Amino acid sequence: MLGGLGTSGLALAALLLAPFTRRVLRAAAGRERSRLGIVDLPPVPGDRRELGWAALHATAGLVVGLVGLSLPVYAVQYCTFPLWYRLLDPSMGGPGFVTWGIDGLADAFGVFLIGVLFAVAAFALLPGIAELQAFPGRRLLAPAADADLSLRVAELTATRAAALDAHATELRRIERSLHDGTQNRLVALNVLIGAARRAQERNPAAVADILNRAQDATEQALAELRAVVRSILPPVLDDRGLAGALAGLAGACSVPCALEVDLPGRCAASVEATAYFVVAEALTNVVKHSGAGSVAVTARRDGDRLRLRVTDDGRGGADESSGSGLAGIRRRVAAYDGRFAMTSPAGGPTTMDVELPCGS
Amino acid sequence: MRIVIAEDDPLLREGLALLLRAEGLDVVATADSPGTFLAAVDEHKPDVAIVDVRMPPTHTDEGIVAAVEARRRQPELAVLVLSAYVEQAFATDLLAGGSARLGYLLKERVGRVSSFLDALHRVFAGGTAVDPEVIGQLLVRARPDSGLDRLSPRETEVLALMAEGLGNTAIASKLVLSDSAVHKHVRQIFAKLGLTPDDQVDRRVAAVLRFLEAAR
Repeated sequence: MLGGLGTSGLALAALLLAPFTRRVLRAAAGRERSRLGIVDLPPVPGDRRELGWAALHATAGLVVGLVGLSLPVYAVQYCTFPLWYRLLDPSMGGPGFVTWGIDGLADAFGVFLIGVLFAVAAFALLPGIAELQAFPGRRLLAPAADADLSLRVAELTATRAAALDAHATELRRIERSLHDGTQNRLVALNVLIGAARRAQERNPAAVADILNRAQDATEQALAELRAVVRSILPPVLDDRGLAGALAGLAGACSVPCALEVDLPGRCAASVEATAYFVVAEALTNVVKHSGAGSVAVTARRDGDRLRLRVTDDGRGGADESSGSGLAGIRRRVAAYDGRFAMTSPAGGPTTMDVELPCGS
Repeated sequence: MRIVIAEDDPLLREGLALLLRAEGLDVVATADSPGTFLAAVDEHKPDVAIVDVRMPPTHTDEGIVAAVEARRRQPELAVLVLSAYVEQAFATDLLAGGSARLGYLLKERVGRVSSFLDALHRVFAGGTAVDPEVIGQLLVRARPDSGLDRLSPRETEVLALMAEGLGNTAIASKLVLSDSAVHKHVRQIFAKLGLTPDDQVDRRVAAVLRFLEAAR
């Protein structure tokens, strides 16, 4: 209520200043909105409801606020009257609207009873008065019905853009795998077939060797294609969820692997796939490079974040530039706006921390 | 013909070397990165470099950058660029900046060995070899005011083959025409593009450049 009185004073000031600046009005209305818990949207041109609110709140709102304020003031003044009535000249009458002469403690006590009435009235009426004072604000400062919808649209547009971004990143990754792997294998195959055809005419003995190489290239192309297809979405994620898929990785790891998973609910499919590859790649590194005797993997969901940690007791000294999959892990994590950190002092241990937004 | 191959994919690199050696060509070195390629060029002074566009570390245009640097060090070096797909901006820049001893082919052309070898020899001999796919895309993008729209379909075809780097005889056999018919078409092209015989420039080169520039 006091706040309401404050904003009505502001509204009055805004009203008086309105011809000079709209900004004062915006500020006063913004103050009232935050007091009433109303979302503040950018102003709609031509919307005069704010001005109407200022007019009402500065006049009626101010009066209602003063009436509301007077109730507790009178209550206090009258209730304490017996304590200080002696200081007054009895012929002058009592405080406020008590105009009759106060003669003795009995009269003062009567005034005290009026004070009690004021106190009761203040308790009973103040919430209603405050509500009455807030009413114009609630009606006139709330966003129009269609504005609420446009807010929702803005929100959806933003999340959709983020999803499209992640999608584009994923497509680029797939394009890269297809280009660097499968396409190159097929080009090599094509070259070898061309060579075999030429050799057929001039050097038939060489054909068998060339065809051997061609077959190798074909097998490699198939293996790489399979890897690409699996990397788009590993079937195990679909079947068993991230926890199950990680358990599968831990079980298949040739270094003993302790797994600790706390993943309530599911994350976006592409995020789970990334988490899966990060752990798979990390375990591959542990097996290939670390010489570790054991490795621990933890996966936790922390609000909107998925946190992964892989720690091994190996020799450490892991280096991103040495062609291990670390650069790939970093790229993948960055694609999802995640965080990647690694400590690997020479002599170990090596700890990799990855944090991904769940996207769900 | 002494050749250096720069290609980061090992299978393709060895496949190319095998193919060219089987044809009796002298592959003096193979390289898997721009650095080793430039070192090989310095060491072996090859006649021709066959260069993949995408190479480490970023797999974008390292091959092109390396080829340009190799040409700077050894201006007589013929360069045949192999690309997984048409990268238009590079193709036009490369060719409009002077197309002698330069080739730009899609990787799949290598499998058609005889035409690949033709291209290789053409570049080696100081000519040009441009992938038909590149030419096709340039044709689609040609500006309307370039004069190319006055050419008949047949003349456009002939000009496109000129841009690929083919001579009149090769064009004739490709289009199943007589040499004199091709000659007539070429004269028509010069006339329609306003290239007169007394011009100081090589009209053939000028026509091809007009064609390439129209697509920029």
